[in-house]
Amino acid sequence: MKIPKVAFFDFTSCEGCQVEIANFDQDLLKLLQVVEVVEFREIMKETCSEPLDIAFIEGSFSREKDRERLQKIRQRANLVVAYGSCAATGGINALKNHKPDYKYKVEVYGADATMPHLETQKALPISAAIPVDLAIPGCPVNRQEFVRLVSDLLHGKAPTIPNYPVCMECKKKENICRYELQDTCLGVVARAGCGALCPSNGIPCEACRGFVDNPNLDSLVELLIKTGMQPAYAMAKARMFTANLVEE
Amino acid sequence: MRLLFLQKEELEPFVSRLIAWQEVVGPKAKKNRFVFDKLESPAELRLDYDTTILPPKKYFFQPQQDLIRFSPEGFTGCIEPKPRIIFGVHPYDIKAISMLDYLFSDGKKDWNYLANRQAATIVGINVHQVFKTAFFESMGASIVTKGYDLFLTDIGEEGFVVEVATDKGEALLAYGHFTQVTPDQAQKRRKILYGQSDRCSQKLFNLPEEVSEKVALSFYHPIWEEMASRCFSCGACNLVCPTCYCFDVQDMWNLDQESGIRFRTWDGCLTEDFAKVTVQGGTENFRQDRSSRYRHRIMRKAVYLNSKLGGPACVGCGRCASACPADLANPVPVLNKIMEG
Amino acid sequence: MNHPYSYADDREEKLITTEGAEREEENIFLPKPARVLQAQPMGRTEKYFRLAFSDGSSMGHQPGQIVEASLFGYGEIPLGIASSPTREGYFDLLIRKAGRVSTALWNLEIGDTMYIRGPLGKGFPVDEFKGHDVLIVAGGIGLCPTRSMIEYIEDRREEFGHFTLFFGARTPKDQLFPNDLARWREEIDWIEYHETVDQGSPEWKGNVGVITTLFAKTSISKGCRVIICGPPIMYKFVIKELKKLGIPDAHIYVDLERRMKCGVGKCGHCQINGLYVCTDGPVFNYARIKNLEEAF
Repeated sequence: MKIPKVAFFDFTSCEGCQVEIANFDQDLLKLLQVVEVVEFREIMKETCSEPLDIAFIEGSFSREKDRERLQKIRQRANLVVAYGSCAATGGINALKNHKPDYKYKVEVYGADATMPHLETQKALPISAAIPVDLAIPGCPVNRQEFVRLVSDLLHGKAPTIPNYPVCMECKKKENICRYELQDTCLGVVARAGCGALCPSNGIPCEACRGFVDNPNLDSLVELLIKTGMQPAYAMAKARMFTANLVEE
Repeated sequence: MRLLFLQKEELEPFVSRLIAWQEVVGPKAKKNRFVFDKLESPAELRLDYDTTILPPKKYFFQPQQDLIRFSPEGFTGCIEPKPRIIFGVHPYDIKAISMLDYLFSDGKKDWNYLANRQAATIVGINVHQVFKTAFFESMGASIVTKGYDLFLTDIGEEGFVVEVATDKGEALLAYGHFTQVTPDQAQKRRKILYGQSDRCSQKLFNLPEEVSEKVALSFYHPIWEEMASRCFSCGACNLVCPTCYCFDVQDMWNLDQESGIRFRTWDGCLTEDFAKVTVQGGTENFRQDRSSRYRHRIMRKAVYLNSKLGGPACVGCGRCASACPADLANPVPVLNKIMEG
Repeated sequence: MNHPYSYADDREEKLITTEGAEREEENIFLPKPARVLQAQPMGRTEKYFRLAFSDGSSMGHQPGQIVEASLFGYGEIPLGIASSPTREGYFDLLIRKAGRVSTALWNLEIGDTMYIRGPLGKGFPVDEFKGHDVLIVAGGIGLCPTRSMIEYIEDRREEFGHFTLFFGARTPKDQLFPNDLARWREEIDWIEYHETVDQGSPEWKGNVGVITTLFAKTSISKGCRVIICGPPIMYKFVIKELKKLGIPDAHIYVDLERRMKCGVGKCGHCQINGLYVCTDGPVFNYARIKNLEEAF
């Protein structure tokens, strides 16, 4: 196998997914023997303009003027992988899509709130601007899954992202169900692939990877309300990472 | 039947010596639940447990089990059993293990399971506390007469009456201080094992055979749709079941991108894609509806596997009922309702 | 005693003891390497492979049996064996590019290695067909597994009565095994071949219409033994025609497809009600499964 050239790019995001990949420790070194990284802002200062085998894109598409940069990446990359929930679905950024009056900007940025780069539209997945070959969900992405999916891509094998809920992975880890602990959890409808990371560490799943293909949302809201949640809050909870998927 | 006696204060030294000799796993507390886990000290052993989150099948048929390792040089199988003592298995779980033993031996023998099974020594224990959703009495699983190597009956302050069932069980005796059993102790054992009934709050109103017969004819019963409307298709009921053994097989490359593994991992027939195939121009799902998947699980337990097992593939452990976030996996009300109608 | 039933009492002897060394050979998941002797794209998305086990062993299958074919790293898929056991020294498979594994297998070329487990399952009960007329109804890729029976009949022609084959494809371009089809159209002494396509083309001179339209082209005897293999939708329409002809259910054999992982009756994916397609099938007597709700 010829060593593929890969580059990492970021758009509207916290760059946490890049950090996640950069934190690969020893495994990163092993990976660097099978791929050549030519651009990756979190770990190197070089940039490049050469053709790429794979472009990894983090963050959501939330400014029209980013479209051109995305198109340029698309043009020179054989494969485009949108990684992380922001890139895959709009992720948590898409919460703003449901706020017509986006006044939080001033609270967050104060005097800088009028800076031009903060002028944004709806937060959309990268696929809203350019065709993507693979979208890997997760906030952040799961390193093991990331490597496995990219490995499949490099071998020409269509990568699969699970279409079963986090409960499957949670049970395999023999965690106590959050509901048994009088907590709430979105794992029942959330797409697995993370290894049930949050419930395994004592916190509920927030469905950062989005939902399975056919989530039973009626049952979810009923369940959340049963745990004492107000209906509006239950709905907002279900929409935290899936604002582009769940209607008002 | 060979019976011996182990005094209460002799339990800890016995388990300590076993731990020093071999891997010993047993029920341990995990917050408000219990899990089978490796014992580091005998103090961790909780023989008063009600049930564990996962059944002991996880030691023979692991949640993820390598089948083949491959590299450019070739490939090898991964049957690598490790001797292990499973200490404190309840009768219903022993019965479930016997069922899995049969199912993995039926037809082509699955040594990936059987080798692990043979490497294990099973020490049974009577049920001290009954799990809130258990109904093992209705499934004839409150008593087992085989499927274990040693069986301990806790007869109270005195200690345990120990039944030695196999050579493997016999081999453990060297690690503890066992005495002859008195007729009084043997009598107490009999009373505890055979004299208790009505301990489970969940009950089937009919015998399993009657249930099987009727459920087999209830394929189009409205209850499937009714129950499944709230089902998340999450598969939790499948994975915690001691007699569920469905799996998926996947391949994965190692970081070097040349070598890798073919492994199997637990799968559940409740999940959406379980019976989905890729066909030309799309997919075909042979159990598309939630209700068809919900029904399949109950049918498989109550009807389909009967011809192989001679009875339902359910031991009434109650794990599925407690694991279901939507609280609809408990087969007892479903089966009772079908029997009523 | 609280024992409403006893389980597995007489079944325990099945759990035999086998020591480590033998176990490795008995790992039911270990495939055998097979070398690609011929590889020929066919139809739009299919490719025909002729293979032989690298250790020189023969497949030793019944017509209609299946194999699990794999490539390490990509995975394993079930495939019907497309050649007859009467033709020794090789076996044929047809791979339709559809999913991850099939695409990887499709890309193999002459000299490459494919990994095979099998033969698996139950094929056509050949003895039940002997001395009788035979009708095979094959739709699309359903021609592959039935081809093992077609060749078998050709090689042991005197053991069977009149042999009729119906083959339906979506379009002329989707027709498989063009060399075979050309031969079957000509060699009328041993095979009565009828074909159709759902949608014709300017060059197509043959029948256009669903496969059941072929029943009007010939007469099928009441004593005929029938094999059906094709897309899920096809079965009930063909069976309806056979009923009209008065053919009893017990003389009809269907070859079914389901999702399959282990191929040895364990993994649960291929279940139709309580039956396993991989071990109880893929060939079923219609009388046996017609009342199974999940079969058709």
